[in-house]
Amino acid sequence: MCEWCLKHGDGGKWYENARLYQNELADEYNVTAYLEEQWKNMETLFLRKIMGFNSIGLGYKMKMPIIGRVIRSLVEGQIHSEKKNRNPARADGHFGQVLPLEDAQHIIGNLAAEPIIKNYCICRWMQRGVKDAVCINFGQLSEVIEKHTRYIPEGVKYRLDREEAIEALQEQNEKGYVASVWFQPVPYINAICSCETPECGGLRLRNDFDLRTVYKGEYVIDINIDNCQGCKECVSMCQFSALRYLPSIKRVIVDLDKCFGCGVCRHACEHDALNLLPREDVPGQAGKY
Amino acid sequence: MVKKTVIKVDYSKCHSKANTDPRDCRKCLLICDPAIFLMHPTLEDDHPDPHNPEIWRIDPIWLSKCTGCMKCVEACPEQAITVIPGTSLHEMKAR
Repeated sequence: MCEWCLKHGDGGKWYENARLYQNELADEYNVTAYLEEQWKNMETLFLRKIMGFNSIGLGYKMKMPIIGRVIRSLVEGQIHSEKKNRNPARADGHFGQVLPLEDAQHIIGNLAAEPIIKNYCICRWMQRGVKDAVCINFGQLSEVIEKHTRYIPEGVKYRLDREEAIEALQEQNEKGYVASVWFQPVPYINAICSCETPECGGLRLRNDFDLRTVYKGEYVIDINIDNCQGCKECVSMCQFSALRYLPSIKRVIVDLDKCFGCGVCRHACEHDALNLLPREDVPGQAGKY
Repeated sequence: MVKKTVIKVDYSKCHSKANTDPRDCRKCLLICDPAIFLMHPTLEDDHPDPHNPEIWRIDPIWLSKCTGCMKCVEACPEQAITVIPGTSLHEMKAR
């Protein structure tokens, strides 16, 4: 992921760097203290102000001449902040990237620190009024969230072993939720979400306001035109409107500029017509995150 | 000139102390396709008590995404929502 892989990838993808999952790194950045403050009132996140602006009517604010551009740069600066004085209540330094199921499962299987828990998606509760225990959190974040019972799913086993967490991700991805991995705060990695747009706070800011809270994935989808039977099943899976069926040629086409490389569409294809390619290998998509 | 959408929620009707606690009702959240509403504890102080039902409310927040469909107005059992549609971001993009 260009910038963040260069900064924190140690030569590879940032989220495949084992160092960024370790307790030692979390301690170095006082992560538990940050997370305790952040999660005390996670539901107030969008009301917190940045230089006097909160998120209410953000679209109109960002359309204002000059002021709109100032807001954009302030908000992105806050989202990507690596400064010492980050504000946890505003989730400074908390951002992520879309990733395919395989990469998410690799993280849970090999890199994530224990304990691993699943808890309610706060975005979905606040924006759609639905309690859906799909967020997989790990390391020091799990211990912080566990203290707040309102985030913890009732009547189910919420502490997961690696196999159970891998299975949960599989199930959620097959439903159509998009896997995403998060710095919280950068450079410590402690969450894999199963996102749904438009409720997801991160995808909301990215899709509607072009703020880089969530980066596009390291891949893009490729359609094998010999295999595609034109059943259109994949179109309904895409949360980014990147897939469309063309009656004239009786097959599905992809708008690569819209594709986030989540790979969720593959679950719907029974003809092996959809495969992920590394974004860097696709002309026109390299470097576009 | 951009005409902003205005949405008002009457908190004397939509409140834990009124007939309907917003956290139990949630009908506007469910019906709104662009999900412009946000359910949250109000920020009276830096760290409000999230277990206090009285500080929870539903605010229209992503106003520029409202399409003016009025489904929330119809769905609200307390008639607490008023919408004065303005320009949606969709329209602005199309221009």
